[in-house]
Amino acid sequence: MAFFAQKDFFDDPALIELVTNIMAGNLTLGWYDVDTPRMRAVPADPARGLTYADCNLGSYGYDAIPELVRNRSSMAARGSVLVPDLPDIGYTVNRKSDVWAPCVPALYEEAKARRWAPAVDVPWAELKGGHDDPLRETAMAQLCTLLEEIALVAMEAPGRWVFWINQEFLELKSLLCAQMFDEARHVEACRKRALVGGRGLGRASVTAEHALKEILCAETYPEASLGSNLLLGSFVLAMYRALAALAATRADRLLATLSMQDVARSVAYGIGQAEYHLAHQPAKVDAFGAYLDRIEHTMLGIVGSAEFLEPLVLLAGGGDGPDAVERGTRFARRWLAATCEDYFARCRRTGLGDRRDRSRLGRVLGELTG
Amino acid sequence: MSYLSPVDYTEDRDFLDRLQRRLRGDLDLSWMHVDTEKVACTAQNERRGLTFRDLDVGSYGYSALPEVIRHNRSFAPRGAALPPGLPDLQAEVNRTSEVWAYNIEGYYEEAMTRQWNATTDIPWADLAGAELPEDIGKAYAQLLTFLTEVEMIATDVPAKWMGRLAADFFEVKNFIATQAMDEARHAEIFRKRALSTGYGLMRASRHNEWNLKFLRDADSFAEASLSLHLQAEGMVLTLFRFSEYVSPTEADKKLFRLVMQDEARHVGYGMQHLKWVLDHHPERREIIHQHLDEAENFVFGAGYATEVMEPFIILAGKGTKKEQIAEGVRIQQMFQQKQSEEYFDRLAKCGLPERRERSRLWKILDLTLRQQAA
Repeated sequence: MAFFAQKDFFDDPALIELVTNIMAGNLTLGWYDVDTPRMRAVPADPARGLTYADCNLGSYGYDAIPELVRNRSSMAARGSVLVPDLPDIGYTVNRKSDVWAPCVPALYEEAKARRWAPAVDVPWAELKGGHDDPLRETAMAQLCTLLEEIALVAMEAPGRWVFWINQEFLELKSLLCAQMFDEARHVEACRKRALVGGRGLGRASVTAEHALKEILCAETYPEASLGSNLLLGSFVLAMYRALAALAATRADRLLATLSMQDVARSVAYGIGQAEYHLAHQPAKVDAFGAYLDRIEHTMLGIVGSAEFLEPLVLLAGGGDGPDAVERGTRFARRWLAATCEDYFARCRRTGLGDRRDRSRLGRVLGELTG
Repeated sequence: MSYLSPVDYTEDRDFLDRLQRRLRGDLDLSWMHVDTEKVACTAQNERRGLTFRDLDVGSYGYSALPEVIRHNRSFAPRGAALPPGLPDLQAEVNRTSEVWAYNIEGYYEEAMTRQWNATTDIPWADLAGAELPEDIGKAYAQLLTFLTEVEMIATDVPAKWMGRLAADFFEVKNFIATQAMDEARHAEIFRKRALSTGYGLMRASRHNEWNLKFLRDADSFAEASLSLHLQAEGMVLTLFRFSEYVSPTEADKKLFRLVMQDEARHVGYGMQHLKWVLDHHPERREIIHQHLDEAENFVFGAGYATEVMEPFIILAGKGTKKEQIAEGVRIQQMFQQKQSEEYFDRLAKCGLPERRERSRLWKILDLTLRQQAA
């Protein structure tokens, strides 16, 4: 135990007296006349239900969160009346522009509305016994092994920060919980896909894991979001898109497209967060640029790994003969170039400028795929 | 600067040469020949879909988990081939008995399939037209303020531990992720309901905040789970049940029924985890008792949380007239007794029946019950 109550309540006559009085019907009612604004949240559109946007009212709303949260370090609900002697819970992320994005409430609502369950929403029976083509099935199992590996890290990334982020940012913390939930679903879905096909799991990737660990271990939340949501998210989104495009069954396509919509939310938040962060802390443009200079190489460790790229080539080419491999590598080169371009476009959107000339990742991929 | 990969992949000539060869069609394909178990898992019950239980096969299954995880300190999925050079994710929790629970896979699957949506699953438009009398409205808004305040603790605490568990415990990690989402939804629904009463949010609760800090700062996952899942959420589950009983509208009753099904799952995990610990490590009994001694100190101190007790009395009595308060107090006493009895019953079911003998909380409850009987 690391923390103890301030006293032994079992040996506290004042407590016994208070409770005895209340139970005798003498309520204190100290809470009854608090002076909080009387506002009523109602659904703007009854068909859509009561959203967090509908609750964005006065001092209760997320628009009213100040840039620096100085006076609320407990778990008190935003807008409630604080009483003396509330504990300091220990939050270390207390700056709005370090975590916020205008799209946060809508993304959270979307995450709940678009829920799916891998156990029942993927027609697993279609995959019974695996694909007729053992080569294709082996490649699929390997890809899913890598995607499970990535999802384990992507699930952990928000979890590392939720504990430290001030409770005032409730909607954002809720979105991070939805992200954890989404990634748990990807761990599950990819593992199940690998294990239904008769090949079992493939090989973990040394280069991908070191890369993922570097992204996971960001020192600040804005960097963590930039690395995991915008950078890694962009590439993982493209991985699922490729998987959907190359799927031979409805089950595989569904697994990939359902996962895509989850990852797209993370990417949207990553863009929105970086944009909001830089709009409020413009001096951070250089720091963000330098951070990306340092970590963009990790994407090569992941998408350039044998455990990802080679199964992608075999799936895209439809075999391991020379012609098939040629088709597959052509697909892989196009995929790498397009994915990198999409990522650069997202960076531009955040206010980071054009990274194409500056980025070593862009230069290397340009040389390899040109 | 934090962790850096031992290789900068844009600078490493060997890596780039291999990648270039790969993109020209010179594939290595060694991953195709790894010696992992070849299995084809199928759904035992197609209506239930493909579950984690269906995947409990050979080296991939949770039944094969050893007590101590020695061989995999990376992010590698359980059962995958582990090549040399994988990084260490620095997991701090590597003992199965520290995290595992009977039926963990079932709790996870249930959580996945029973997701609901606080935005659309409550008839908010109907509630907008339901005007509550001032005393009931304020009491309800205060109770909801308290519930909003405490729910996110059960997001923060699991999130804190998720990254500290070895990757081989992914079923537990996945369950933790579902719990975090459940609790975010609970904070959301209580906040939305408080703001839809027209009375706004009310007052924070000092005593409960200190209790939350106790839950946050547990030394180990097992301690955190004991006080969070079993003690705190167990008691909140009873509170939800009584809140359903005293809540002012049918929509509010539905609200509590929805949160109850989630909460019951979390309590289920807490119970099955404690049972697992006691079955496999009976020597930890004394440590568990010591942690519960302090947890129960906070429970008893909750008498100071007038922000919870008093609105409950008003809601239960349906008003603030003298006879209504008297009725409210009667129901409040019933609630407190039920809450404590259920808590001790749960501990007994987990294999800790002697808790009653040791607990000061039980002694006081027992004394009260005898006085009432006399």
